Amino acid sequence: MTTPSRTLTRDEADAFGRELDALRAEVLADLGQPDVDHIRAVIRAAHRAEAAGRLLLHFGLGPVSFVLGSGALGVAKILDNMEIGHNLMHGQYGWTHDPALAADYEWDNACDGGDWRHSHNFEHHTFTNILGKDRDVGYGFLRISPEQRWYPRHLTQPIVAALLAMNFQWGVATHDLRIDEVSRGKQTRAQLRERARPFLRKAGWQLLKDYVVYPALAAGNAPRVIAGNLLANLTRNLWTFAVIFCGHFPEGVRLFHQDDVVDESRGQWYLRQLAGSANIEGGSTFHVMTGHLSHQIEHHLFPDLPASRYPEMAPRVREICARYGQRYNTGSFARQLGSVAGKILRYALPTARAS
Amino acid sequence: MQANLLRTFARRLFLDRQAAFWLGPGGLHARVVEVIDETPDARTFVLRPSRHWTGHQAGQHTTIEVEIDGVRHRRCYSISSAPSDPQVAITVKRVAGGRVSSWLHDDVRAGHVLGLGRAAGDFVLAPSEASAPLLLIGGGSGVTPLMSILRDLDNRDAVHDVVVVVHARRAGDVIFGRELAAIATRHPGMRLLVHLDDLDEARLARLVPDFAARTTLLCGPAGLMERVERMWAAAGATPRLRREQFAAPPVPTPAPGAPVAVRLTTADRTVLAAGAGTLLEQLERAGERPPSGCRIGICQSCRCRKRRGVVENLRTGAISSDPDEDIQLCISRGRSDLELAL
Repeated sequence: MTTPSRTLTRDEADAFGRELDALRAEVLADLGQPDVDHIRAVIRAAHRAEAAGRLLLHFGLGPVSFVLGSGALGVAKILDNMEIGHNLMHGQYGWTHDPALAADYEWDNACDGGDWRHSHNFEHHTFTNILGKDRDVGYGFLRISPEQRWYPRHLTQPIVAALLAMNFQWGVATHDLRIDEVSRGKQTRAQLRERARPFLRKAGWQLLKDYVVYPALAAGNAPRVIAGNLLANLTRNLWTFAVIFCGHFPEGVRLFHQDDVVDESRGQWYLRQLAGSANIEGGSTFHVMTGHLSHQIEHHLFPDLPASRYPEMAPRVREICARYGQRYNTGSFARQLGSVAGKILRYALPTARAS
Repeated sequence: MQANLLRTFARRLFLDRQAAFWLGPGGLHARVVEVIDETPDARTFVLRPSRHWTGHQAGQHTTIEVEIDGVRHRRCYSISSAPSDPQVAITVKRVAGGRVSSWLHDDVRAGHVLGLGRAAGDFVLAPSEASAPLLLIGGGSGVTPLMSILRDLDNRDAVHDVVVVVHARRAGDVIFGRELAAIATRHPGMRLLVHLDDLDEARLARLVPDFAARTTLLCGPAGLMERVERMWAAAGATPRLRREQFAAPPVPTPAPGAPVAVRLTTADRTVLAAGAGTLLEQLERAGERPPSGCRIGICQSCRCRKRRGVVENLRTGAISSDPDEDIQLCISRGRSDLELAL
């Protein structure tokens, strides 16, 4: 077991924060053409993959072109959602003043961009891993830590998690609606209807696109196109679920209580982001496919820096963490995913509450 | 209506992005076909606009968009070519420390593609004014919109009674000197006065005694503009004076934290941003409720378009005066009067 992080004084935390601020400023000053070239190359790749996928599904015959087409479309959706959409919507490329790279990007996902910017950029990134404030902790229905109270419904959570993985975009899309708050009386049905408007509009267009318009264009090949789109969406759902669950839920990631963060300084905010995130090791293609969320730690420390800079920052962040006695949670994809799966199984049972 | 529906449909199905990717950007842009040295620090860029270009009126300006090291910048330049010319010429003076003008001078060659905006501005002659006695006063690169007007009159053989006063520091700094002289030779109705000394009120009155009776078009540095405006006001000739202001870059307030006036263009009101804290906090104190979230510069909820003015980024300390840039209210402070799309 890795040694846990040392508790820092406020002054130590602020010194830690100043080192990270300096690293951030250094990268910020270095941004330029290579960063723009990178994101445009990924956008080009996503366009090409989508075109290839749709052509193979529409005009191909037989199972090979079906699998290749669905796969290419799935890759296009993954690139669009992760390296392009997630990162553009954080405003990582706002400094370019290029409208095609602006934070108002709309992605190929059932989740409305505006809803996402609120629930993710604001709530999750500001209140990361604070119980009762960060609604991304178990997404409100999974128990991934002994610090969360156990309810009998958690017994089914291995199945619920599997269903969520397969339909992940719908979980993400309805996250900002706070449907659970209706049954708890914190939100009226009328408020929910109002809040659901952007979601319903976006989801409607997405369904129309993948399951009506493109199949209609394929005429006789429509069933194959519907199946291909389903498979592509499923691929993207499973992949994004796996990557995102590895970001905050593996063993060793800390949860916080609202009392912990009263009067939190910038340095302490950095410490919470570090303690609440975990990285996944891999090669450069893997990192791009995860939208560099494989560097969840760097992403949470510097959410507005172009994500493709995280790999070069990681060794330096790690070195700073080592000097301040802070745990830097990283591991292989298999290890982190296994750790998350283990927690979902373990904490389905009430016995694991004591700790 | 139908076109709108089709556009919404295309955007919602991401067909617009696909189309732009496979067919190339549909927007307005221009290819540089020739670069001409006018003076040691002024260059003319002759552009061939894409088919979306809708032409210009003599005297108007346009917007050039360039990408320098991954960052887009936009600048306004007067058009110096005549409207009948299918190619569009802008003449750019190198500004000391100016990112865009330096880049245009140092890096742009024939073949480059630049972003182009639509022609705009009301520094144009009404058809009825073209035959009246005219006075064109241009200082430095202020001669560019006047050149378009003069070329237009020349093309239409409509140079009847025109006095052109050009002011520059040295003879070598006179932009379009040779062509101005050539037009003057062709048209006996044109009088060209190139002035290299200080152009004060007394000298101008001596050069053009009937100035108050002429429809006057003025473009030049602030000092010259002010002198001419005073002179025309004293002569009761202000209604006949037309001005083209080269928007000077806004100057930051000397003291960080000094109160600034913020014009909110959507709400159509102006409030005072004063006191401690960020622009977001100041606006909230002034009774405004702009969208906001984390308040520490990470969530982008308070991002809004700054139309003009100088802001300081409190996280990086960077001061920026670019027009039409997005800023985050919760980490910005106004360093001049501002115009925000709120």
